[in-house]
Parts: sequence; structure tokens; C-alpha cells
Amino acid sequence: MTDAAGPTPLPTAVTASGRGGSIYDLGYRRYEGPRLGRAFAVRSLTIDSFRTAYGIGHGGRAKIAPVVLGALATLPAVVVLGVLTLATRLGAREQLEAATPIGYDTYYRSIDAIIALFCAAQAPELLSRDQRHGVLALYFARALRRSDYAVARISGFALALLLLLLLPVTILFFGRVLLATDVVTAIGDDLPKLPAVLAQAIVITALFGSVAMAVSAFTPRRAYATAGIIALFVLPGVIANAVIAQGSGALGIILVLLSPGTILDGTSALFFGTGLPETLFFFDLPIWTFLLSAILVTLVAVLMTIRRFVRITT
Amino acid sequence: MTLVATPALVATTALTKRYGSAVTALDGLTVEIQPGIVGLVGSNGAGKSTLIKILLGLLDPTSGSAAVFGLDVVRKGVEIRQLVGYMPEHDCLPPDMSATDVVSHLARISGLPGTAARERTAEVLRHVGLYEERYRAIGGYSTGMRQRVKLAQALVHDPRLLFLDEPTNGLDPAGRDEMLELIHRIGTEFGIAVIVASHLLGEIERVCDYLVAIEGGKLLRSAPLGSFTERTGTLAVEVEDGQERLAERLTAAGLHAIVDGSAVLIDLVDERPYDLVRDTIAELGLPLVRLEQRRHRLEDLFRDGPDGQPANGGTPARLAPVAVAAAAGPAAAAEPAPGAEPAAAPGSGEVEG
Repeated sequence: MTDAAGPTPLPTAVTASGRGGSIYDLGYRRYEGPRLGRAFAVRSLTIDSFRTAYGIGHGGRAKIAPVVLGALATLPAVVVLGVLTLATRLGAREQLEAATPIGYDTYYRSIDAIIALFCAAQAPELLSRDQRHGVLALYFARALRRSDYAVARISGFALALLLLLLLPVTILFFGRVLLATDVVTAIGDDLPKLPAVLAQAIVITALFGSVAMAVSAFTPRRAYATAGIIALFVLPGVIANAVIAQGSGALGIILVLLSPGTILDGTSALFFGTGLPETLFFFDLPIWTFLLSAILVTLVAVLMTIRRFVRITT
Repeated sequence: MTLVATPALVATTALTKRYGSAVTALDGLTVEIQPGIVGLVGSNGAGKSTLIKILLGLLDPTSGSAAVFGLDVVRKGVEIRQLVGYMPEHDCLPPDMSATDVVSHLARISGLPGTAARERTAEVLRHVGLYEERYRAIGGYSTGMRQRVKLAQALVHDPRLLFLDEPTNGLDPAGRDEMLELIHRIGTEFGIAVIVASHLLGEIERVCDYLVAIEGGKLLRSAPLGSFTERTGTLAVEVEDGQERLAERLTAAGLHAIVDGSAVLIDLVDERPYDLVRDTIAELGLPLVRLEQRRHRLEDLFRDGPDGQPANGGTPARLAPVAVAAAAGPAAAAEPAPGAEPAAAPGSGEVEG
């Protein structure tokens, strides 16, 4: 093959120069180890997407937005715990529990703007930038399918979003439990509320995440993607309100079922067993239609994203 | 080297690719490529990139078929891509990541486990000549460094075949020489088959041992480089005076030499003229200004006519046709002086006198 170095010369002086140079240059070595294939590629890309969503491995500036938004998302939990600590010291915990506006069922409503901003800021980091810088060509020239790329990017972003949503609630849970006089009873009180929180977190992740990814998939320009995501999160709600104010109930219901904000109001009411907000008084379909709508919107957004990358030219 | 034994490295049959109804990028291309360093030459828009993308399974052909390692490109794309590396023509690196991070990430996407990915990354970046700077963000790299990173990511998973699309794009002369040297090493020392697409024949012929020329999506010629060598280049010897005497002596020695201004142009058939020119100039005691290998244009080389009349006005320094020199030419070409060392590395530029 290539190692036509010929017979080694008889022991003359082997110095650092000349033939002895090979001491410093090992030459090219073939890779004989395992090649783990498609599943591993998808896993690696998923992990990379999760890290990229938090700016890990992309320099300091890339971390500013996710870290600030992550801190803001956690802030209400920390404040609630702080106040709770104070109240417990003063023996006024009971009254405070009744008065505090932020609990498990209302937590995500209180940070919904931050969740939306996180999506608008970080989803384009994953999908728009790869298009902008031509990196797609490098991915698609490797042992994975185009749809694998889309699925891995979406999964990684979903994991990042779930962390953003579950971390504050976890802090809230452990804080509340540890502050209680009777820890076992406190766990017994709080634990049953957590499945609903988890369900709502998954719905938010699926809905916001998939819509944000779908928008990012269609533009290489980060700013356009960010603007588009915010518009999609906000505008349907605004339009719905305007339509309802005009008194059109049927159209209003359709719009409410398409607007990410009101869909989440609906699923929250479903999971936590609370009523719909007063603004949705006219909604006379079963409440699970909100969940159905969330699933449908997510499916459409994911399929659009995959389709986009299957067809994109590199 | 177990994979390359039976089927051709690359084989296409009546391969056609149309974009819409107006643009035909490949037009019934049938070609077979064996392992080695293969130059894929053609002018811009000849279909080189399209061919590479089809072979990678990135584009589907409109009609016809293609196989790499005997695997069909449409159905076995994933299997093929496991074993090939691709260096795209255009910029393809995220500016905010370091070379190490990008290459090791892409190594994992190619299926290398974490530790192996890191080791191979360090090794490959060293081979392409990136050292301390590999930890800095790519956004601050020069074009030359970016090209090296692009090459490194194509090599990191130790492919059996490497597709390089215009690898010297945007490089200065020194950078071009280094890149070509690197490609040559990859094809010889590393033992990896290479297919290099370029519109610069003069560069590609320095590293390749086989050429495939396409034009307008059609195959122009596919042959070992050796069969092209009768017309691969011109050696321009610039002297301050005595051009006539030099030309006479060289013609007498069996070379075809003509005077062109202050230079004597010599048909470069093999390495022999270098020695002859050096000795002749030394004997005549002429003041040598520079010794330079000039490149023919692509069209000259692939023109199927009996010779290359200077039909195009683009290269005024074209040599007289080989046919005229036939009386002297074959004699010179027939017996390459054994063991003759060229006075200057072919094409590596100038010897200042």
C-alpha cells in the first residue's frame, strides 16, 4: 500500500533529523475502532442540540440569553420560597399559602412570557444557524438521514425546554417540603399535584417547542425566526380576542383552539381541575378539545419541520 | 484496503440530473472511477458539484444510476456516507465554535465513540496543520485555516473515499501549494482514495494520477494523467539576454523551444528539460531571471483536435502546436532520463537568478 519505506538502513546514526524524524511524526493511523451508526449519530446530535440550546460549547455570548431566561424562570420559585420561609418563622404560613398567587397550578402562567422568549431566542440557534452557515451539508454528508437530523434537533430542544420548565417546580417542591414542620405530611400533600405539573410541562414543551422549531426551520435568518415565533405565539390570541369582542362565538372558538396561549389555559384547567379563565366563558366544547388541539398542532409543526429538511437543498 | 477490490470505486450509468425543465446539470454521464487520486475537472457549472452530491446521496438523479463501492447511491446512501468524507465547496463552519469542538462533534455524528472522536480530532487537526489555534472560535480564522478545518472534518472518521469540492478556493499561492501537498499525502501516505473537483487543471494535475473531465454535464474524457502529459505544460525560462542562443541549443538538444520576448518557452513533456535548461544556461553563462512553469488552459488540454493551436486569445504565451514539434518531441519524450532530478519542483514557481 503506502508504507514503501523500503528496508531500514543498517544501524547508521539515527538522528532527530532524517529518518529519525518519524519519532516526532507518527504518520497517519487508520481508525479500526467501532462505527456506531445512525442511532448513535441521532443520540449525539440530540445531546449537542440540548447543549446548544443553553449555549454550551458556543462561547460566552451564546450563554447570555438562555442563562438569563433560565434565571428569570426560576425566580418566582425562589421568591415564593423566600417569602414562605419568612412567613414560617412568623408563624403565618397558613394565611400566606391562601394568599400567594403562585402555586403549582399557576406557576407556568406566571412565566409564560419567559418560556416564549426562550423558544424565540434559542430555537433559531438550532435550526436557522445550521442553514445560514451551510453546516447542513456536513451533517447530510454523514451516516444519517435528513429526517434524523430534524428529529434529533427537535428532541434536543424539547429536552432543554423540559429542563427549563421542571427545574423551578422541582425547587419549589423541595423548598416547600423542607420548610414544612412535618416533612412526611408535606410530601403527602404536594406529591399528588406533581403529575398534573408534569403533564402541563410536557404539553407546553410539545406545543411551544414544535411551533418554534417549525418557524426556525423555514428561515436561515435568526432575527426573522425570532420575530416569527413571537408573532405566532401572540397574534392568534389577539385576533381571537378581537373576533370575540365582535360577538362571533364559532370563529372565536376555532381561534382559541389554535392560539398557543389559550390552548395552554385549557390544558391547565384540564390537568389541575380548575375552571377555564373567565375570558373563555363562551367556550362550550368539552375541555379535552384543548389537549387534542395541542397534540394536533404539535404533530403538524413537527411534520412540517421534518418535511422542510427532507426537501432542503444544501 | 479490503473494500476496493472488486467493484469500481465509483460507477455511473447514463446519469442525468435536471433542475426544473431548463437546467441540465448532468446529461447521460457514464464513467467508472478506480481508486487513486482522481481529478474531476470542468469549468464552472460543468456538473462537478452535482455529480459529487449525487454520489453522496444528497441529491437524487433524474435518471440513470450511480454506485459508490458498488452500493447504489439512492438506496444505500447511509451506508455509503459512513465510508466517505466530503469537503464542500462553500463555507460550512459555525463561526462561534472552535475547530476542536466542530470536528469532534462531527466525528461523533459519523459514529465514532466519544474518546475515539476526541483522539482522532486531535490527530487529524495536526495532520492538516492546525495547532494552538484549534481551540479558538472559527469566526476568527483565515480562509486557509477554514479550508483546513473543512478538510479535517472530512477526514476525521477515516473514510475510504474523500470528495473534495474546489479545495483550493480562496487560498493564496502558498496556501494552494500546502493544500495540494496535503491532498497528495492523503492519497498516497494515508491510503485514502480521493476525488478532487476543480476548475483549475494546472493545480489538479499536480496531485492526481487520473483525470475525469466533464463539460456541460457530459463526459469529455476520462483517462490516466499520463496520457495527457504530452501537453501538460510550458516551461518559461526568462533570461536577460541570449534568448536566441538558448533556444537554439535547446532545440538542438531535442526540445521544442521558441523565443517569446525575454523568455524562452519550452514544451514540458517530462522532467528532463529542467536539467537540460539548467546545464545549458550554465554553459552559456546566461543571466537567468526566472524559471516558471506555465499552465495550459483546460480547453487546450481536452480539445480533441490533433494539436492545440493557440485558438483562444487568452494565453498569448501558448506554445506552437505539438504536431510541429513532432520531429523533436517524441525523441525527447521517449526516454525520460532515469533518475534525473528536476532542478525545480514542477510548477512550484520561480527560481530567482
